[in-house]
Amino acid sequence: MRGYVARRLLQGVVAIVGALLIVFVAQRLSGDPVALMLPMDAGEEEFAAMREALGLDKPLPMQFVIFLGHAVQGDFGDSYQWNAPAMRLLVDRLPATLELALAGLVFALLLAVPLGVVSAVHRGGIVDRAAKVFAMLGQAIPGFWIGLLLILFIAVELQWLPAFGRGGIGHLVLPAIALGWYPVAAMTRTLRSSMLDILDSDYVRMERAIGLPERWIVWRYALRNAMVPLATMIGVYFANMLGGAFVIEVVFAWPGIGRTVVDAVFARDFPVVQAGVVLAALVFVIVNLLVDLSYGFIDPRIRHG
Amino acid sequence: MRRVAASVVGALAIAPWTLAAQEVVVAFGAEPQQVDPTRSSAGVDGYYMDLFYESLLAVTPDFDRVNWLAESWQVVERDDGLAIAVTIREGVKFHNGDELTAGDFAYAFERLKDPVSRTAGRLRYVDGIRIHDDYRFDFVLNSPDGSLEALNLVLTAIPREYYEAVGDAGVQAHPIGTGPWKFVSRKPREELVVERFEDYWNRDAMPVAKRLRIKIIPEDTTRVAAFKTGAVDWIDAVPPAQVAEFEQLPGVAVASLPAPNNLFLSLNAIDPGSPFRFQKVRQAAAHAVDVDAIIRYILYGQGIRTAQLAPGTLGFDPELEPYRYDPDRARELLAEAGYPAGFNVPCYNLTTPREPYFKEVGETIYAYLTEVGIRCRIVQLEYGAWIAVGRRFSRPHMDGIWSTMWGQGLPGDPTDAWSGHVHTAGDGWGTYSYHSDARLDAMIEELRTTMERDQRVDLIRAIARLKHELVAGGLPTYRPMLTLAWRDHIDFQPWPGAFWRSMRGLKDASAATGDVSR
Repeated sequence: MRGYVARRLLQGVVAIVGALLIVFVAQRLSGDPVALMLPMDAGEEEFAAMREALGLDKPLPMQFVIFLGHAVQGDFGDSYQWNAPAMRLLVDRLPATLELALAGLVFALLLAVPLGVVSAVHRGGIVDRAAKVFAMLGQAIPGFWIGLLLILFIAVELQWLPAFGRGGIGHLVLPAIALGWYPVAAMTRTLRSSMLDILDSDYVRMERAIGLPERWIVWRYALRNAMVPLATMIGVYFANMLGGAFVIEVVFAWPGIGRTVVDAVFARDFPVVQAGVVLAALVFVIVNLLVDLSYGFIDPRIRHG
Repeated sequence: MRRVAASVVGALAIAPWTLAAQEVVVAFGAEPQQVDPTRSSAGVDGYYMDLFYESLLAVTPDFDRVNWLAESWQVVERDDGLAIAVTIREGVKFHNGDELTAGDFAYAFERLKDPVSRTAGRLRYVDGIRIHDDYRFDFVLNSPDGSLEALNLVLTAIPREYYEAVGDAGVQAHPIGTGPWKFVSRKPREELVVERFEDYWNRDAMPVAKRLRIKIIPEDTTRVAAFKTGAVDWIDAVPPAQVAEFEQLPGVAVASLPAPNNLFLSLNAIDPGSPFRFQKVRQAAAHAVDVDAIIRYILYGQGIRTAQLAPGTLGFDPELEPYRYDPDRARELLAEAGYPAGFNVPCYNLTTPREPYFKEVGETIYAYLTEVGIRCRIVQLEYGAWIAVGRRFSRPHMDGIWSTMWGQGLPGDPTDAWSGHVHTAGDGWGTYSYHSDARLDAMIEELRTTMERDQRVDLIRAIARLKHELVAGGLPTYRPMLTLAWRDHIDFQPWPGAFWRSMRGLKDASAATGDVSR
């Protein structure tokens, strides 16, 4: 078990360095950050001086080695735009992003689990079909559009919930819906089909035969076993929400990481982008590891040696 | 019925904001990274700095330039040459209680001259600051400089001792100036809280509202929603499409004001192979685009058509008319220039928000040009790539048409901008120029070193006329408008500083009259 975790973490480090290398090179191909930092009237000498000050005049491999050397010590450099350590800028915003991603995930599960189970139990029924339409809507409509509609109807027209910003639970509801609706379709369908398999299996038939109540069978035994494929999806979608909440963060003026990193991309703020990639890759690696380990708890037959 | 219910809920939701009265909540669409006036470069930096900091001169809402921290100033001839002698106000306090002295301006000068300041070029004709006593100092000039006045004499009051004690990071964490608003707290990308500075020197400009909470809401729809739900009392950048709706909203005041940018099409008139070397081709482009239609239909009227300069700018000439929209004339001119079948040309377009609907405006302009035979191959660029392509020394450089803008504050003075995009070399400012004309160069050089106002106006008009005739240094199109909206219980007067966002005229009318019963 311990060996498995160590091996996975090592693979994770390789993945992070690989992701970093791609981003490191790609963003430098995209252009010169100095063009954005200097005013319109700056001349060629000022460009050269600024490049030197930022270390951007050195050959690319050397820049990468210098960067890695500092990064392993936890120093990701200072943001070009914000006069602050790049990693701190992101870590400060991590709670907001985690909060939003968790809320989105909770919303998705609150819908997907009952819908998936009910759809499987009442296969082809009206609930099954309605659930399918509802879930597909979430997948078909872009999140930012859902967000804008929610703002217009729930916040402006009905005035039930705040339109923007981070605050109490009320502030979380609309962005969580906009973020969490998307994976509902995939989660519902995955759960539905694994539920169908399990409800057809021998042991469920046996449970029925010995007279266990149907509700007990469905929610207690079948659901637990049907959760394994869903757990994988939860991991992937949660990691995606952490990294991909950018649009929702902009729409709801949510002070999270996604907005910070995407703004940094446009501003060619290399240190922030690099720190963001490391953080996102790290979260991805950890979440996936946790998901793998969770299989063992959901289904004791799966144990990592 | 639902409407009634909604409005009751709405009233309940809004009530706490007005009852709190002493705090005004504001939403900006963008946010600066910098709060140090000696380290700023982008226009957006002014959004916060103008709350905290003040200059020697200021521009009033009527576009009058008045002495502000300067009590008086004049150009004088000293034994060693030309100087600007400044006397500053006595008894002006910084937010930390320190008193403002001439030494603080000398310190601001040093910091601005440091190459990392990013605006050292503005002081290229100033050799140094000579202090006479605590309240009197000279700008020591190495040449007459016509731009200093338009830049409010450049220097901002910063507290030397505080800056030296806390360093750059400390200043960013807690800016201190002499302005009407005092820093309280900041969460980047979320909000800035400031409060009224009780010891502010200018009692006439003292805010009545006690606190100001500035929220950052980049998405237009959300910012508008925040205003409509009552969560904020004031917003900037109302989308042009919604200005008419806002004007109808009860209890809401709206102001549409000229933004500080002048939009234009840069045409490459210097490369040997470029068709825009020919004046007739440039004039054809000028006749090809119906800018009035663009303003009416794309910008919902939120734009000011310019022949060269916008009204209010120094040297604005009301008699200079834009080229009339005449596609047939454009085709004729192209044929006369030797391009009866037209030509293909790369047309660079900015895709990221900068001015309202800038991308769509660019695409429309390029469609108009294509219509007469200047066939645009549109190259869509994000901001960084777009700004880089325009610099003449960047590779690849702008080899066709570039939809861009110049700005020089409000009310505006074209001197430095023309040095940059009209003058051949521009004396270090010419990094965006795609034109070369000896007559214009000489006139711009003269303008740069002319300090007497009437002479400057005459020179600017002469340059504008020649530039217009030659379609030199690009083809001006329009100046965008910025719309602000606020609840009318707030007594707000927009000041041009910080592009109308300096919150200098912000008062809460209900607080002022003691009426909190609404």
